[in-house]
Amino acid sequence: MSEGDIAASTPVTGQSRMDSAWGSGGGDEVVSANVAQATVESGQIFEQIYQPWRGILNPRWMRNWAILRHHLLGVVKKGHRPWGIFIRLALLIILLASCSDVLLILLAGVIGENELYSMFGVNRDNLYGHVLGFFPRNVLYYPVIAALLVGGMISDDRSHGTSALYFSRPISRLDYASMKFLSIAIILFIFINGTLALYYFTEILVMGRGWSWIIDTFPSFLTAFFGGILIAFTYTAIGLALSSVSKGRFFPGIGLIAVIMGTRTLAAIVNGLFDKTILYVISPFDCVAHVTQALMGIEMTYDHPWTWSLASIIAINGLALYVLATRISSLEVTRE
Amino acid sequence: MMSEKMNSVWSKLDRKATAIAEFTMRQYRTRISTWVVLGVGLGSMLLVALFYADAMNTQIEAIDNDQDSYDWDGDGYPTGQEVIHGTDPYNSNSYPIGIEPDPREKWINEDDFNWDNASFAQISKVGYDDDGDCRREGQLVSQSQKDNNGDSIPCNIVLIYSNYSQVLIISSDGNVDEDPDDEKYAKEALHRAFILGVGKMGIVYLLGIFLPLFLATGLIRDEMTNGTMHFMIAKPIARGEILVYRMLGYLGIVWPFLIGLCLLMSLLTGFMGPSESFFRLSDLAIWFTICIAAMLVTLVYGAIFSTFGILWKQGVVLAIILAAWELGMAFVSVLAGGDSAIQKFSVIGWGLMIVDAGAAMTWPDMAMFIEMGEWVGKQSCDRSTLGDECGPLIGNEPLRFFSSGHGLGVTNWVAALIASLVLIFQAAAAWFIGQSLFKGKEMDD
Amino acid sequence: MMPDLSQVGEAETKEWVPDNTAPVVMFDNVSKQYGRINALTSISFALSGGVTGVLGMNGAGKSTLFKLMMGKIKPSAGEVKLFGQNPWKNTAPYARVGFVPEHEKMHDWMTALDFITTFARLHGLTRDEAEKEATRVLNFVGLGDVMLKQIGRFSKGMRQRVKIAHALVNDPELIILDEPLQGCDPLARTSIMNVIRELGRMGRTVLVSSHILHEIERITEQIVILHNGRLLALGNSHAIREMLDQHPHKISITCEDPKALAKDVIDIEEVRGLSIPYANNLIIETQHFGVVHAKLPGIIVDNSHKVSQIDSPDDDLQSILRYLTGGS
Repeated sequence: MSEGDIAASTPVTGQSRMDSAWGSGGGDEVVSANVAQATVESGQIFEQIYQPWRGILNPRWMRNWAILRHHLLGVVKKGHRPWGIFIRLALLIILLASCSDVLLILLAGVIGENELYSMFGVNRDNLYGHVLGFFPRNVLYYPVIAALLVGGMISDDRSHGTSALYFSRPISRLDYASMKFLSIAIILFIFINGTLALYYFTEILVMGRGWSWIIDTFPSFLTAFFGGILIAFTYTAIGLALSSVSKGRFFPGIGLIAVIMGTRTLAAIVNGLFDKTILYVISPFDCVAHVTQALMGIEMTYDHPWTWSLASIIAINGLALYVLATRISSLEVTRE
Repeated sequence: MMSEKMNSVWSKLDRKATAIAEFTMRQYRTRISTWVVLGVGLGSMLLVALFYADAMNTQIEAIDNDQDSYDWDGDGYPTGQEVIHGTDPYNSNSYPIGIEPDPREKWINEDDFNWDNASFAQISKVGYDDDGDCRREGQLVSQSQKDNNGDSIPCNIVLIYSNYSQVLIISSDGNVDEDPDDEKYAKEALHRAFILGVGKMGIVYLLGIFLPLFLATGLIRDEMTNGTMHFMIAKPIARGEILVYRMLGYLGIVWPFLIGLCLLMSLLTGFMGPSESFFRLSDLAIWFTICIAAMLVTLVYGAIFSTFGILWKQGVVLAIILAAWELGMAFVSVLAGGDSAIQKFSVIGWGLMIVDAGAAMTWPDMAMFIEMGEWVGKQSCDRSTLGDECGPLIGNEPLRFFSSGHGLGVTNWVAALIASLVLIFQAAAAWFIGQSLFKGKEMDD
Repeated sequence: MMPDLSQVGEAETKEWVPDNTAPVVMFDNVSKQYGRINALTSISFALSGGVTGVLGMNGAGKSTLFKLMMGKIKPSAGEVKLFGQNPWKNTAPYARVGFVPEHEKMHDWMTALDFITTFARLHGLTRDEAEKEATRVLNFVGLGDVMLKQIGRFSKGMRQRVKIAHALVNDPELIILDEPLQGCDPLARTSIMNVIRELGRMGRTVLVSSHILHEIERITEQIVILHNGRLLALGNSHAIREMLDQHPHKISITCEDPKALAKDVIDIEEVRGLSIPYANNLIIETQHFGVVHAKLPGIIVDNSHKVSQIDSPDDDLQSILRYLTGGS
């Protein structure tokens, strides 16, 4: 190749530039260049072999069970999700406190006091009251434990970055959220319905109830049980929705208490002033109470039709679950 | 000279205070949760106000408390008209001749209260028999009934007010002021009950406790867990000061909100409330005390909750427990008024006391006003032949429920002052404990 | 928990008159325990002026040292003094201190200018003064063109520089930087190091902590070495190196036949040990580095060994630290 060959149309390649630089074309056509020899010790390249994991992935329910177990066992054991010592203490105190009617029935049975029994024995009102009595159960016990439990349920994962640990595994967000939901709901269920069942069966044992009594009262028990499931579900749904929208630990707990107590107080103000119970439809507790009152057939404390409360409770839960679902599906897995 | 003054220690202190307070307020403003909390607070109060507006615009059916609008004998003349003309209301052949029969409505609300000049001196004599069914001779009121209360003045009412037991005794002659204007009474009573109910339970209690719960619990703790407190404590400023100035920033958000809310509500109730004039000017006083009470309560709770936050990572647990206690005390305070001693071991009890004192100042006739509605109800029940259509006048029961005395046994001004001072003292104590905890806190993470 | 009422906070009410005779930083027999863990044990030193590097591995106690200085924690024993004042009890000396925390968290919602202005006002500056000073320091660290952007949008190196700027806003005499180079890219490192060197030239007392030694080397010669909460060395890095001459020193030779070379080198009486860690490499251990170093070339030339490289792994701060902290 000679110098004259380089025209405007000649493509610019490394080769022709090299030629120009060395002034070749006049001498030999074998182009060579001196390259400094590297004196440094040659490096080492590790052979990287990617070994895929050839194990069998456990079925989905088993993975989910592991998450659920991690949350639930944390309440009683070390080495699982850490719940604060104060939360566990509060859970214990509230568990004992919500068994107060069980203890009273035992006492009535032991000392054979009829008056005590007539006050605390199983009847429709007491079954209702065990689940949905406002004071102290639904002002001091159940919303407070729900608030303590949801406090950092999702927001802690977000702020510690542990949600990344979940989402880097074969776990869908739906599974993650539903297991969080279930773990709180189960604890609440144990507190509300577990103690209700304990109350009912203590009565059977202590008073030596026969089949006829059981057949008479069992529907009431079942209805109260249903009310308990409804209230546990509702508190959990609202609490988790709040937990999913916030980063802090304080907000979800306070928010849940504010939603439950605030709506009720507002409705109570309106009821007290203008003798209208309609505003109770915004209070989750009162909606559940109203529906359960209707189902159990005890005297209703509200004037509006109970179907409104039913519609409202469905709407409240739907909204809460919608917020939870959208937030979880758009949750950014970062440490915030 | 001038520049020396500008750079004195105090002016520097002032600059630090404004810097941190301003910073804290901006921090609140950038958070969505602040706006959500304030928005929900405003919205919920307006929701209750909606019911109030509805009640104010609803015609309340007038009740014929003395039942003299009925035409028992069917001769076309209402009982009251027959009584005044001396004919027999139970005999269809006996009716005033040559006079057109009155429409029934004229005899429904015919004898309004004339107690305006009542004073809380021991005894006052009030009442005027507007419809004349006491003053005139007639079948309904015998000569002895014309001076039932035995003060030798016929057809009046004796009010005996005991300062000691704060009980009002009403002793009336027959058929005096027995059939007031129900709607007028109901609207006035509902108006007052609304202001007290929303003021005490809505603004002072509900907002007073939840605004600090949301906004003040993390005042110091959030900064500590975020790790941004390092910047602030590495400055020539004592930690106690940081707490005060952060509190100032928090108040800079909460107080304007409360003032605005109270102003809005006072305008709402002022324009919509029952009034002779365009605007109920005198009610501004009660809104003012509600506002003061709410501001002081948010101050105290703010100091307490931020102290809980400093004390412990899980300070919100303590805050929720305290909130439950305060809720109980709020109910005690509303139900028992100043008579219970236990509410003095709370914040809300003192806060509500300010409102109670304010209510007593704004509406000095409150005790009498409540007693009036009760008394008419009792009268109409004694007379009633209609069964369940008797009882206190509409609005009387809510008003009785939401109003209470301050129970300090001193004049209203002094009671409000004492309660305010107690609240300020509580805030100062909470701040002192908070800042000593904060100073002793090793910030290690 | 008992409230600690010992903190007096004279800053609020009394104009603080600095004591110019006291050293800027003084640690007098300071210990700090967390429960049963000793984070610092009997640390004593005093510093005034110049840039000082605080070196140590993770968990050596560097951050604890700084936290003590900044009055965040209280010494379990001994006394910490800044300008002759106890920083736990009195925050007034911070008027002359700038602190760059290790934490990455900042107020992301603020602009850089806002952030620095706000914290400058805590030094008692007026709003205008603070803004002027903030602009000055932001230009100093090279962020003048982006100072109206939110901190949340900044890269790591820019955030680090914002923190440094924030520490400089009160024109401090003592500047404490906790791991300022951590996680920055080389470009950011260089600019931060330039800033620190500049501060040293301005006669400020600067404390920089790091566990990456050649970076500290590029900034300063004065070092403090911590290990397991104990003070291991303090002073000029050359002086420390001199002292290290008393300790066994290593020379690494890369050659074709290390065994043959070893045979010849063993004749030098100052050599204490020899090892051949891998083919082509010989390591000589000696206590008299200078002597051995002088004799080596002769031996190599005389016996015509093919040597491609001679170096002393000890001859940089990294190995000093590795030695001091008990490594290799």
